[in-house]
Amino acid sequence: MIPDLVLPRRSVLKSLASGFGYLAFAGLAQEVAARAAGNSDSELAPKPTHFAPRAKRVIFLCMNGGPSHVDLFDHKPELAKQAGSEVTKFGPRMMPSPFKFAQHGESGLSFSEVCPNVAKHADDICMIHSMQTDLPNHSQAFIQLHTGSFQFTRPSMGAWTVYGLGTENTDLPGFITLNPPADNGGARNYGTSFLPSIFQATKIGTNQIPGFYAKLMGIDQEPGPPLKNIDNSQLSAGQQRRQLDLIRELNASKLKRDAHHPEIEGAIETFELAFRMQHSVPELLDLKSEQPTMLESYGIGAGLPTDRFGRQCLLARRMAEAGVRFIELTAPVGWDHHFLLKDNLAESCLATDQPVAALLADLKQRDMLKDTLVIWAGEFGRTPYAQSGTGRDHNNKGFTIWMAGGGVKGGMAYGATDEFGHKAVENPVSIHDWHATILHLLGLDHERLTFNFAGRDFRLTDVYGDVVHEIIS
Amino acid sequence: MFSINDPILTFRFVAVVAVTLVAGVATAQVSQKPADDVAGVRFFESNIRPVLVKHCYECHSKQSGASEGGLRLDTREAVRAGGDRGPAVVPGSPEKSILLTAVTHSDPDLKMPPQKRRLSDSVIADLRKWIETGASDPREEASDELASVRKAGRDFWAFQAPRLSVVPRVDGDVWSRRDVDHFILSKLREQGLVPSSDAEMPALIRRLHFDLIGLPPSPDAIDQFVDRTSKEGVDKALAIEVDDLLASPQFGERWGRHWLDVARFAESSGKDANISFPYAWRYRDYVIDCVNADVPYDRFLTEQLAGDLLPFDSIEERARLLIATGFLAVGTKNLDEMNALQFQADIVDEQIDTVTRAVLGSSVACARCHDHKFDAFSMKDYYALAGIFASTKTYFGTFVSPANRVGGDPLPLPVEAGLPVYHESIKPERVAKLEAELAKLRQEEKDGRAAVFKAIKEGRDASNIFTLSDALRIFWRTGSIKGQLEKVDSDGKALPLTMGVRDREKVVDVPVLKRGEIDQPGDVVPRAFPTVFGLRQANALSKDASGRLEFAQWLTDPQHPLTSRVMVNRIWKHVFGEGLVATVDDFGSTGQLPSHPELLDFLALRFVENEWSIKSMVRELVLSRTYRQASTWREGAFISDPDNRLLWRMPKRRLEAEAIRDAMLAVSGELDRARPEASLVGRVIGDRPISLIGLDKRLPTDLDGSLNRSVYLPVIRDRLPDVLELFDFASASFVTGARETTNVPTQALYLMNSPFVRDRSTALAKRVRDETGDDQKAAINSVFRLCFGRKPDADEETSALKFLSDDSEANGQSPGKGGGADALARFCQAILCTAEFRNID
Repeated sequence: MIPDLVLPRRSVLKSLASGFGYLAFAGLAQEVAARAAGNSDSELAPKPTHFAPRAKRVIFLCMNGGPSHVDLFDHKPELAKQAGSEVTKFGPRMMPSPFKFAQHGESGLSFSEVCPNVAKHADDICMIHSMQTDLPNHSQAFIQLHTGSFQFTRPSMGAWTVYGLGTENTDLPGFITLNPPADNGGARNYGTSFLPSIFQATKIGTNQIPGFYAKLMGIDQEPGPPLKNIDNSQLSAGQQRRQLDLIRELNASKLKRDAHHPEIEGAIETFELAFRMQHSVPELLDLKSEQPTMLESYGIGAGLPTDRFGRQCLLARRMAEAGVRFIELTAPVGWDHHFLLKDNLAESCLATDQPVAALLADLKQRDMLKDTLVIWAGEFGRTPYAQSGTGRDHNNKGFTIWMAGGGVKGGMAYGATDEFGHKAVENPVSIHDWHATILHLLGLDHERLTFNFAGRDFRLTDVYGDVVHEIIS
Repeated sequence: MFSINDPILTFRFVAVVAVTLVAGVATAQVSQKPADDVAGVRFFESNIRPVLVKHCYECHSKQSGASEGGLRLDTREAVRAGGDRGPAVVPGSPEKSILLTAVTHSDPDLKMPPQKRRLSDSVIADLRKWIETGASDPREEASDELASVRKAGRDFWAFQAPRLSVVPRVDGDVWSRRDVDHFILSKLREQGLVPSSDAEMPALIRRLHFDLIGLPPSPDAIDQFVDRTSKEGVDKALAIEVDDLLASPQFGERWGRHWLDVARFAESSGKDANISFPYAWRYRDYVIDCVNADVPYDRFLTEQLAGDLLPFDSIEERARLLIATGFLAVGTKNLDEMNALQFQADIVDEQIDTVTRAVLGSSVACARCHDHKFDAFSMKDYYALAGIFASTKTYFGTFVSPANRVGGDPLPLPVEAGLPVYHESIKPERVAKLEAELAKLRQEEKDGRAAVFKAIKEGRDASNIFTLSDALRIFWRTGSIKGQLEKVDSDGKALPLTMGVRDREKVVDVPVLKRGEIDQPGDVVPRAFPTVFGLRQANALSKDASGRLEFAQWLTDPQHPLTSRVMVNRIWKHVFGEGLVATVDDFGSTGQLPSHPELLDFLALRFVENEWSIKSMVRELVLSRTYRQASTWREGAFISDPDNRLLWRMPKRRLEAEAIRDAMLAVSGELDRARPEASLVGRVIGDRPISLIGLDKRLPTDLDGSLNRSVYLPVIRDRLPDVLELFDFASASFVTGARETTNVPTQALYLMNSPFVRDRSTALAKRVRDETGDDQKAAINSVFRLCFGRKPDADEETSALKFLSDDSEANGQSPGKGGGADALARFCQAILCTAEFRNID
């Protein structure tokens, strides 16, 4: 018989320490001690940064589908001149943008006519025109945008952020995602992989009544609460607390027996958080306390094309105010314009332009833009040449994302694509570089923000990434 | 007991030392085995790899396409082989390693990185130390970036026929029970690991019941099993238990659902329009019945791909075979697409993608628009398959309305088969009236168009003759009438309908579409099957049939390298938590390599040999010693193999959404094991836009409200019942062989506050109270046994008793009748909320 070499039973403290994913190796020994002492809140508590942060929180406006940079921000007059010329012999043909571009603000950044409201914030916006990602496929690029790696399951940047910084309001999740897509990797895009599961995003969203019917019937486009089961009127707070104490006790005893069981570690924390959320979330989600003029500025109102994203953007501001560390909103419109780009891109902009602009204005007016990093990004851009004559294909070799607030230079255009917008030719920025820069703005050194999993230190940026210092104010 | 000369022990000792000493200087020289060198690899990963990537890869890596001086620094072999000047690194000899010469700038002709400042002293010291201590380097050629991608094509492992290998034997092995175990043990031994001891019997039977039927064992079943193991031995007791479970109808409800994940089964079209599919449930029931009947997998696939083309003995069999083809029809449909050609092309694409991903674990659909350098399938392969599906008509049964631009006929089933029908009949007079109206509308449209044509010909203004709103009115009204008429016979009697496919009258070969665009046709490609596998191709496909039947036969050819491998891997995943190929839906170039290639082949061959019996394969796996292992965590093994790829223990797993919900119903005694009629979609929702069902007061807000098994809950794209949505149900739009497991507060809120869980808690409390009266200890014991399959330990019992007494007092009532029951219900809910309830060891 082969001897079974199970280690002798270890002390409680030791098994707990090893159970919590080898935090000790990551230099977080004090937390292990705190947790072993029964204080399970500590993982979410604010943590010191590596250096002075410029941004305290992130609002990530995720534009799922690959928005066309050459029709929005990256003006290419040469495209119009060479309209219809073949890219390769018998290959696709160059397609000029159907939209007019103009320069805005003192900085003179270019915006096309479909984003008139965001254009008013030109001097707060930093355009990165030279983004690159590895593959021109939605699911891989979308996962890479969120986690850095499409080949392996890795923590999302929101999870890394909360792992690195903790959260300012432990009554709310540190990472919230509103209406994320179920495809393109689904939960992997806001998951924790090997990081403790408490850093995972909490998904908030509701089933919509289409705008057409909402208007017709005069009802709210979002009936019911965006987060169900938040109300517990059946039990008194005291009764529920006692119930929760019992759950916690039983979970802790199971965890002690199992030594290493991340699922149970996570459950202990999520139940505590859920208990606190019963008080904090209804208040957060209730837009009734907002002035009518505020709702109007975000474009919120039954039947309005901006209603849905307007609500999301206003909620994002409320979450930012409440101390949520990383907020991601997925625009409820598509950007994958293979066909009929002219109409469909305009429609997507119509639904998002005003809310995004309102969010920037609102943050600024509250003096929060200075330490809130607002990111507008999709997984890639689109080709300068036509697909089917009316739309564009995926382009991973050069595309634009923009950021505002949180320590980035306003009114800046960084990097450049070639004369057609096909490929980044000046200061290319990889997803890893971009991630490194975001962490840097948050006061985190991407090479030092590591998590030791099974003997290896992992980073959001793997072994890559250079901070783009030029865009930092 | 053990001596230090035992190789396994020596390894352990080394590993422990390596973990303890962070730098682990001495370890690398002890052994060359990669797993031995934890510290060396760690040092490489944290101090060396980032330096190489940042400063060297630009000119010396495959990724950058540059190998200046004939040197690449991106794999272990390349570093050691070196370039024009000789080996870059000689392990243990810094002075012979040109890499070090270059970075120290000691040779004026060789300063690296070029035209840049010398690397910092600490970096150079790290490099020196790395080389001195053996230059640990885990970078293999195959796993490096996209290298495996480039090897795609006929040489790719997954396209070779499975090879039978000799079952490996390990000296002195008394552990193994089945062939599987020999493979697992041998690999563990190679890495210096040992398997875990057997699980405790109550934990084992709980695991087995959930894995096979998705329900917890009753306390009686546990007692009986434990009793039998002591009397007749574990092997015998397990064999009996497994056979019982495989024979129970609950097996199909559990394992049928696994296939429904793969078949991206859903009861609505998804995408923007999202119209419900009221007949999809028939396919769901078909799958469950097939799994219970253990229909051989090759036959099961053939029925789903070409049931309409198979011979049949009875009218009931004919109906069953038509329903089987629902597999091809239940995918997402973009019902907002106005271009009919585009819509057809998208359906074909969805079918090719689903079939190839589900059956072959690799999608041919990537080749719709381009040939991909790294992909095994060409555009020609794609359009050869596209012809088969283009010659097939898909019946999905939604009709044109203001909410839906695309009509699709339902597939009528033979009335004689006597199948239940859930939509209403209409009166014969109504049929006549609708038919008359339809004729009138058609005439109106015809006349209108003729008038426009005439006006244009005569040079008159035609804009007010037959307007867009006329056309739309007729389009919608016609659609609605057709929608009503296609559901009834000429007397208005409701017809049995299903989703599915039939061959079209005209069989076609289709052209390659340049860039996948429907208006860019190129050369026509004869219908055929992908060439990469080197399988015998059938003669040119007949012009009389689509070729789906021949395609099914080609897929289920016993020589096919992928079909059997992909399926046994799926089965393995559901038994052991992760596939031998971890990317269960991707055996292609972007997927992962198998952890045990010989075992995968061995099982694939055995699967075919056992007539593709799914039940036999499940039986083989769960009767292995590997499956019997405890899930206990072991530090040393964890450090060597953190992802448990070698199965040194059974993984701890969270239950799927269905099993969590079913377990609550089972322990509360409320589970209705009968199959419900149709589904909520077929019975109540019918066909309409899902976005509007929120306005229907008949529907529960959580879309649940039933006591049947969860597999029968409605599966509506983007609008799942709460419990499925919250606990990581499969994405109903794609082939999903492996679900996610998330752990978020919204799950906790559901367990704490949802009416569903509250009702189960109340019922569980009542059940226990009925059994145990006022005896609190007995009640606690009973709840633990029902929910966890074990008794409470002393501490747990104390906590529970304290909770019951405190809670009753807080409620202002003494323990006893009313107040006691309430407290017990809250206690029961706490138990349903524990992690132990929804996890298996």
